[in-house]
Amino acid sequence: MDIHLELKELSKFLSDYSTSLMAVGVHTSRIVRNTARIAESFGFFVDMTIFQKTIIMTLRDKDNTHSYSTVNKIKPMALNFEINSQLSSLSWEAYDDHLSLDELKVKYNEIISHPRMSKWMVLFLVACANASFCRLFTGDWQAMGVVFIATLVGFFVRQKMMERHINHLFVFVVSSFVASMIGCTAVLYNIGTTPQIALGTSVLYLVPGVPLINGIIDIIEGHVLAGVSRLINAALLIICLSIGLSLTLLLLGVQTL
Amino acid sequence: MMNFDLLQAIIFDGFFAAIASVGFAVISNPPRKAILVSALLAAVGHGLRYCLLHCTSLDIASASFVAAFSIGMLSIVFARMIHCPAEVFSFPSLLPMIPGMFAYKTVLYLVKFIQCKDNSASVDIIVSIFKNGLTATFIMFALVVGVALPMFIFHKQSFAVTRILKLVKKN
Repeated sequence: MDIHLELKELSKFLSDYSTSLMAVGVHTSRIVRNTARIAESFGFFVDMTIFQKTIIMTLRDKDNTHSYSTVNKIKPMALNFEINSQLSSLSWEAYDDHLSLDELKVKYNEIISHPRMSKWMVLFLVACANASFCRLFTGDWQAMGVVFIATLVGFFVRQKMMERHINHLFVFVVSSFVASMIGCTAVLYNIGTTPQIALGTSVLYLVPGVPLINGIIDIIEGHVLAGVSRLINAALLIICLSIGLSLTLLLLGVQTL
Repeated sequence: MMNFDLLQAIIFDGFFAAIASVGFAVISNPPRKAILVSALLAAVGHGLRYCLLHCTSLDIASASFVAAFSIGMLSIVFARMIHCPAEVFSFPSLLPMIPGMFAYKTVLYLVKFIQCKDNSASVDIIVSIFKNGLTATFIMFALVVGVALPMFIFHKQSFAVTRILKLVKKN
């Protein structure tokens, strides 16, 4: 096959592969490693620059006479550790077995289209999680109950709004407002002995933990630009969450938290 | 008798941390086999932090570092056993320790600072802003450095865990 055509086809696949890795929340050095590993199994080298919205990469052959560059947008996918794990092992499979490009594409599409866990199950588990989080902050049983309901409603609102592709910052404001409004009933009606904790933990399910961890790992490993942009994104989400919460506090006139 | 109470508190703490970690993990759709491991690691990590905070004079950031380090070590062991990248279950087990409350309290106090018209009261608010903000930052760094250190120490092993999956299948 013509070397340029080969570079082009592989380049398209690799940019597809790396943008989906970025979207499902893999830290930058793993993306670089996995992509380079697949390129190596075809006898090529790849160099890439990763930004928050796009990935730029150049694929070249061993003696640097032919190269192909692509710029590709990061896909709008939700965090997904299953795809992270499967795509990483796919890269080793390609490296060890020298899979052809067509085989790789078939396996890749299979992994990407794997269905997620049922929405209702996630909703229920998140509510349980936030209720037990309330217990970790020394809340009592009544507070746990209030937080359970607050999270159930707040996360449901978030899921529904995310399905309609509304701006995700706005989604965070609204769902933290809804959750804290329900959490605030504990303070207004003095439910249990620790109503403040119920209000305080009712919005914690929105804290973007994985982007925060990924951002700091990126900074430690030297991908400072990618790491800082992840951290800024996470900080924006936390600010939106606080806006929703302070709206509740202002409306209902709750002073202390 | 005192010791029994403490032990019970630690176990309860670990138990609720495990539930919290499972719930927050499913948002990011982990592989089924990793969920139980992340629950176990979260219980160990959070229980250890609770124990350190109540039995020793360690501050919350150092205690988080020790807890995260133990999670990182265990996650490398489990990564080799079930052939997943270590972060697939070490990240979810860190989630209950993420300083979310400190982080949003910083923003809430910032809002309060803007609204405050009394000069002497605003000094107290500034102290609260710095206290919450710095605590959140330090805990965050302690958690991530703690969990990443074992990955740096066992460099080779932690890269190739997903590779073993294939070799096992072949045999």
